Amino acid sequence: MAVEVNNMHPLDKHLRLDRIPTLYCPGCGIGIALGAILRALDKRINEGLIDPNRVVWVGGIGCSARAVFYVKYDAAHVLHGRAIAFATGIVLANPELLVVVIGGDGDIAGIGGNHLVHAARRNMDMIVVMITNFVYAMTGGQVAPTTPRGVKTTTTPKGNPEPPLNAIKLVLSLNANYAARASVTTPHYIESFFYKALGMKGFRFIEVISTCPEIYGRHIGLRDPVEMYSELKKRVKYKSKPSIEDANIDWEKGIVIGEFLERNNPSYLELLREVYGK
Amino acid sequence: MKKTFTSGNIAIAEGAITAGLKFYAGYPITPSSEIMEYLAEKLPKLNGVVVQMEDEIASINAAIGASWTGVKSMTATSGPGFSLMAEAIGLAVITETPLVIVDVMRAGPSTGVPTKTSQSDVLQARWLAHGDYIVPCYTPWSVQEAYDLTIKAFNTAELLRTPVIVLSDAVMAHLWEPLTIYDQGEVDIVERKIPKGVGIALPYKPDPDLVPPMPIFGKGYKTIVESLTHDERGYYAPHDNNYRALINRLNMKILKRLDYIFDYETYNCTSECHYMLLSYGSTARVTYIAMLELRRRGYNVCMLRLKTLWPLDRERLISSCRARKIVVVENNIGKIYMDIDRVFKDREVYSAPILSLELPSLREIIEVVSIWL
Amino acid sequence: MVLKLNSYSKIPQLISRHQGKFRVTIIVDRCKECGLCIAICPVKVLARSSIENKYGYHPPEPLNIEKCIGCRLCEYNCPDFAIFVEKVV
Repeated sequence: MAVEVNNMHPLDKHLRLDRIPTLYCPGCGIGIALGAILRALDKRINEGLIDPNRVVWVGGIGCSARAVFYVKYDAAHVLHGRAIAFATGIVLANPELLVVVIGGDGDIAGIGGNHLVHAARRNMDMIVVMITNFVYAMTGGQVAPTTPRGVKTTTTPKGNPEPPLNAIKLVLSLNANYAARASVTTPHYIESFFYKALGMKGFRFIEVISTCPEIYGRHIGLRDPVEMYSELKKRVKYKSKPSIEDANIDWEKGIVIGEFLERNNPSYLELLREVYGK
Repeated sequence: MKKTFTSGNIAIAEGAITAGLKFYAGYPITPSSEIMEYLAEKLPKLNGVVVQMEDEIASINAAIGASWTGVKSMTATSGPGFSLMAEAIGLAVITETPLVIVDVMRAGPSTGVPTKTSQSDVLQARWLAHGDYIVPCYTPWSVQEAYDLTIKAFNTAELLRTPVIVLSDAVMAHLWEPLTIYDQGEVDIVERKIPKGVGIALPYKPDPDLVPPMPIFGKGYKTIVESLTHDERGYYAPHDNNYRALINRLNMKILKRLDYIFDYETYNCTSECHYMLLSYGSTARVTYIAMLELRRRGYNVCMLRLKTLWPLDRERLISSCRARKIVVVENNIGKIYMDIDRVFKDREVYSAPILSLELPSLREIIEVVSIWL
Repeated sequence: MVLKLNSYSKIPQLISRHQGKFRVTIIVDRCKECGLCIAICPVKVLARSSIENKYGYHPPEPLNIEKCIGCRLCEYNCPDFAIFVEKVV
């Protein structure tokens, strides 16, 4: 019955404690993803690789992007879909800064799709964490570009007629240095992928498949956080060198997670230096 | 200083360079593309960055992001691109980001006539984004003034932590005139305030002049740049007292400095004027000649030229001239006329809207103005 | 054992138990009763408690602390930074 108790969660030093508890619903996967990436960042800071004053978090609009409220770093909560453009300005004006863009699938691959395409094309120096929950949750559950066909959402009450977008395949078709997918049911992979991304240059993209019990869970009949988590866990399979065909997301056939792409092509800053010599 | 002979677009680029521009993000659009092309050559040699983004929305968002790293940044576009930048101007206003946006007006609406002029964006410059705000807007009428007002735009942006619009047009863009380029020691350059001390800083806590010092990224300030209505820390604060205080401050910090922002010129204004022609931008060049011609014909007419379109200083305008009849000459359907009518409530204000793809001709202006004389 | 600290102090309420090797601590007011930690624990250390926190949620307690293997699955899968595991020195 020792009285010596550490009352601080190990990640508390990275959090704005006056804004905790978060606004997220019980069982929301965003908190799991945020914890995992903060753990990876913590490790890199302890190794001396990253100066915490140099980290800038940029988020657009949506539940996932609001993760920037909670981190005790320089942060920006900007316009819907424009986080990547904003981040491009930051990294080009001050290449010393490490920019992490965090957002949902609607924000980054929907309205922000064009900016995602060009940042990946340029191999722009930034890490983009896209938390996919297949729906626009913050506004109540409208269909998203990633929503699977047939799902009934508030704007597709008879079922979604649209084929979904696959963000990993989109990024793989461009010039990124790193593209990986993880799931909130495997937080250790989120952590290890983000840890690796922190040590790389160029455009690094990590998609995190997430539970969303209140909104998407309601649409597919999995309202309970534990139930949705375990259903997702059943369908997620890790593969060590997944190919582009493995990138398909299919709720029946399964979702492959892993590192789809890892290479060391010249990043945009390096390409600029080649041309301008500075 | 250096004397040269160049165009309005180049003058704007040179003005930005003199003011200390270090980041430019843009998208090609006629008639503003030369600004980006010129800066793409010159700015990297001065350790600046020029990047052509995928669209105007990305351009202005990147420029705002760059400003938060502590550098002076700018983007230039024309009418259609300016319309795309609407949301981001609101972002720059609420996050209080110093930024210069150049709109080289062209004939619209929509694609219009890309290579010809108009002055139809003047109300758009005032009311483009949603929400209750005001941003300063300057409009030059000569190449030298394009240079000078661009420097003033940067100074206003840094002084008041606000986006500032420079309104040029297709005629001004490609007009060539002599230009004196000043060295950095020869002209007043304003830099933004930075927080005193180290550690966590409140990004929206104003000084007595209503402008907060700006804690930029990368210095350990743990800044939050927040697009939601926020309190001094940058935390979301959707309460009446906070919302009112924020909106009031964002507007008052501009209006309090009307003395600095508002600028105009009068020509031949005496206490005996009967008529006043009011004009701005490239149209004012011809209006000026029209005034001289009308005076030669015996009319007691003077002219007032606005260098600052927004905000208008009501007091200074009213006391500028005693003319009883004012005719507002502009290359649109009569837009600034509406505000001038409001300002000069006790005088007769008439509109001379002359839609002209090139500079309005002298004959046309005299013809239209004469209706009211 | 629940440490109910002085309500004037800024230190949060904790539920904390250890078994000589690992200590499991729950920060009471952060928990949203999602149930993930209870379900994910491979050796069933945690159970829903009857303590009601500030927001009306019932956080878990390490009822079977002696079984804890220090895998930290509860800590990693908690979306709310409400539970953590430490090695006891």
